[in-house]
Amino acid sequence: MSVLDLKDLSIDFPTTKGVVHAVSDFSVSIAAGRRVGFIGESGSGKTTTALSAMRMLAAPGFVSKGEIHLHSLDSTNLLGLSDEAMRKVRLRKISYIPQGAMNSLNPVVRIENQIWDGIIAHEGKVAPLELKRRSTEVLANVGLPAHVGELFPHELSGGMKQRVCIAIGVCLTPELIIADEPTSALDVITQRHVMQTLREVQDKIGAGLILIGHDMGLMAQTVDELAVMKLGKLVEFGPVKQILENPTHPYTKDLISSVPLVGGPSFLDSPPADHTNQTATSSSLDTPLFEFENVSKTYGEVTALHPMSFQLDGAVPKIISIVGQSGSGKSTLGSLMLGFNTPSSGKVKFFGKDINRFNSREKLAFHKDVQAVFQDPYACFNPFYRVDHALSFPFKRFGLSKSDAHTRTAMEEACDAVGLDPNLVLQRYPHQLSGGQRQRLIVARALMLSPKLLIADEPVSMVDASLRSTILKNIYDLKEKHDISIVYITHDLATAYHVSDYVMVLFHGQVVEAGPPKAVIGDPQHDYTRLLIDSIPWPDLNRDWGSASTAKAALERLDSMPRDQSAVLRGDIPGFQLESM
Amino acid sequence: MAFPNKKRHGGSADTSILTKEGPVARIPKGYILNRLTTLLLTILIAATLIWLIPRLSPVDPADIMLGRMSAAGGTVADSEQILATLQERFGLNDPLIVQYLKYIRNVAVFDFGLSTASFPTPVAVLIANALPWTLGLMLISILITFFIGNLLGALMVWDHSPKLVRVAIPTAMVFTSIPPILSGLLLMWLFSANLGWFPLTGSYGLMVEPGWTWEFTQSVLYHGFLPALSIVVVTFGFWALGMRGLMITVQGEDYIKLAEAKGLRPRFILYRYMIRNAILPQITAFALKIGLLIAGQVLVERIFAYNGMGKLLYDAILDQDFPVIQGVSYVIILMTAISVFIVDLIYPLIDPRIRHEAE
Repeated sequence: MSVLDLKDLSIDFPTTKGVVHAVSDFSVSIAAGRRVGFIGESGSGKTTTALSAMRMLAAPGFVSKGEIHLHSLDSTNLLGLSDEAMRKVRLRKISYIPQGAMNSLNPVVRIENQIWDGIIAHEGKVAPLELKRRSTEVLANVGLPAHVGELFPHELSGGMKQRVCIAIGVCLTPELIIADEPTSALDVITQRHVMQTLREVQDKIGAGLILIGHDMGLMAQTVDELAVMKLGKLVEFGPVKQILENPTHPYTKDLISSVPLVGGPSFLDSPPADHTNQTATSSSLDTPLFEFENVSKTYGEVTALHPMSFQLDGAVPKIISIVGQSGSGKSTLGSLMLGFNTPSSGKVKFFGKDINRFNSREKLAFHKDVQAVFQDPYACFNPFYRVDHALSFPFKRFGLSKSDAHTRTAMEEACDAVGLDPNLVLQRYPHQLSGGQRQRLIVARALMLSPKLLIADEPVSMVDASLRSTILKNIYDLKEKHDISIVYITHDLATAYHVSDYVMVLFHGQVVEAGPPKAVIGDPQHDYTRLLIDSIPWPDLNRDWGSASTAKAALERLDSMPRDQSAVLRGDIPGFQLESM
Repeated sequence: MAFPNKKRHGGSADTSILTKEGPVARIPKGYILNRLTTLLLTILIAATLIWLIPRLSPVDPADIMLGRMSAAGGTVADSEQILATLQERFGLNDPLIVQYLKYIRNVAVFDFGLSTASFPTPVAVLIANALPWTLGLMLISILITFFIGNLLGALMVWDHSPKLVRVAIPTAMVFTSIPPILSGLLLMWLFSANLGWFPLTGSYGLMVEPGWTWEFTQSVLYHGFLPALSIVVVTFGFWALGMRGLMITVQGEDYIKLAEAKGLRPRFILYRYMIRNAILPQITAFALKIGLLIAGQVLVERIFAYNGMGKLLYDAILDQDFPVIQGVSYVIILMTAISVFIVDLIYPLIDPRIRHEAE
């Protein structure tokens, strides 16, 4: 039986430049107990559509045409309800699990109070003991211990916060749950755990589920039916199996093929070039480009990185991937390499010199030679300056500019190299560009300085799936065409598999497995690497994603593993040596 | 770059500190000691500056007193000798370091010496007489201002505010750009001179005997109303504008969206989710403002002939009465430092994300 019907829905946003038709003629119905996925890139209208069922469209958006029916109501048309009647529908009938769970909880209110707020708003006065019993129960439903209720949001990890949001969403056993990319900020292991928790709870209460997302793999493993959206229009709708196996719309085909697969065809156009003939030209370097000598990092009593040693020659450019889930120490490693952080012991060396003992001139040269691309493209630009200033400033600062015309040419070349039209982007302000464009500009900015090494820390985790391969291609080209070595820090094993020459898997600040990607990711030996790979949602219904309990058991097994074991080394590559500890 | 914050994951270990124990138990001794040291150091440095700055001036207080005496009594015989006696009595002949140490010792027990203008009244007595008036007027007006200002600032942003509020507020903000003396004069002209609703000057009626009587209290409230109003009118805009900015930021937060999705009543969201978060920086500003307020109140007290610290300071400056200037400045600094100290102590209780450093 259908819970919610969206009929010929159109949503408009009147702006000063005219009316934007965010959604047009959208019809879908969601049955009780069924999971429906809304997939599409950012701006395709999937969140807007779902929010219209909550009547929570951001101003100035409004439903210009169509009907929304919630069948359990006396008068089923949601658009005809008063504000107060609509308020009562929220959470009790339709609940919403937000995208940014990191910031979705009131920072100054305890978790249990935030659950109680929802209960009280719909049921009036409830006895304190009863409230406590119910909050403990819903927390247990999402696999959280009772004491979590007494904590404040900042004391929880991202995965825990997301599960609290699920707990709030199901505390009044709604008929429909709308989950808006509930796992986009989480690493694969946590993602699997959270998604399976959501699926389990939803099954238990028999609610319908709308899952909004852009990851075809996640959809394949989670939903029953899939609605593919593009530019506000429903382009394809049907059972997920049918859509995956026989996509009819070209956009759906694109979405499916844009998911990089371990062992699947590479998304890089150019096959890795053979570098053997180049070695002769530059192998005369005696001192390695970059070196870690027993480097470790501790914060108080917590060890973020256990002692580790490696050498990166730099004679032939390499892409070294560092993979692991959040908190594994991979970002600490990156910040140590950039000199943002000083090691607790050991030495970080650049061309044989300790980077933490550089004088100011050496430091300047170091910062020119070692560039970085960070995770959040929105936070990496000064919003007051146009793009051309952001690009030219470091170029001039490091004394590379011969003249204004020279700077201009360098900027244009860099934009061309990352596939952006310089005439289109250089005169704009950062806020006028998309996340993907900004991230490519950051790559361009790094490229202009012709660095020797680029540290890319989760460079694509915040951009749309369809753009990820483009940006990774840009980064890959830095190695291929510009001879820049790259350290690629990521939690995404599939992309690491395709772009890298060497992979290090980090777990609790320790390398647990390392070697060429075909060996490490294609045929993992260590339990942790296996868990990482098993957690990837595949856009293939024949691959089992496992159940919530297997995911939880796997994590617990890993946590109880002895910490002092040595890494499983899977063979060396020329130009990079990791020393087993 | 997202640096891993390992502490965050240790949530379960911290539970004991954050749940059952009372708020007082949560402030560790080490932290209080640390803050207290900072407080005392601030006061010491401030006291030193207050002592130092007048000594850079070429004016000799003994000379001024002598001048005043001669102005009062025509000529003064043996002026050289009297000057020497006064300089001796004020300790102006001691080496600077001795003067300084004596001063610090005296200041520690609120002994600011004798006023040169109302010789020989001790400065401490003058301050003790003026302080309650100022504290009363100031605390009442700043509390009202803080409350009204923040509430209006919040209502300016809230989606469900009555239309009238949204229109009325910007109009009222015009007052904010008027300096307090003008608003004071305007209020006096309107309510005292024309309508005769309130008295023109003074802190209490001439016919009333000071004491803890209803009659006196009534008179004080009656006389304090206009000065308080003139302060409120010109300063609430500061809080309202600040609050508006903070509310806009908070309004965009994801937790407001989730609160709405939870079907909470709009008013509940306003108080518990929006204002509760937006007010936090305002509380810090409030502590900093307390000291500034006495200074800002100088002219208001002056035009209303209100017997507070502001008027005391104003008169002391006119009379070049150094001991009084020093004493008043010292008290202002003391009040600011103490209120910042208190906010430091209570802040972790109102914002759980902030922890006492010593933990």
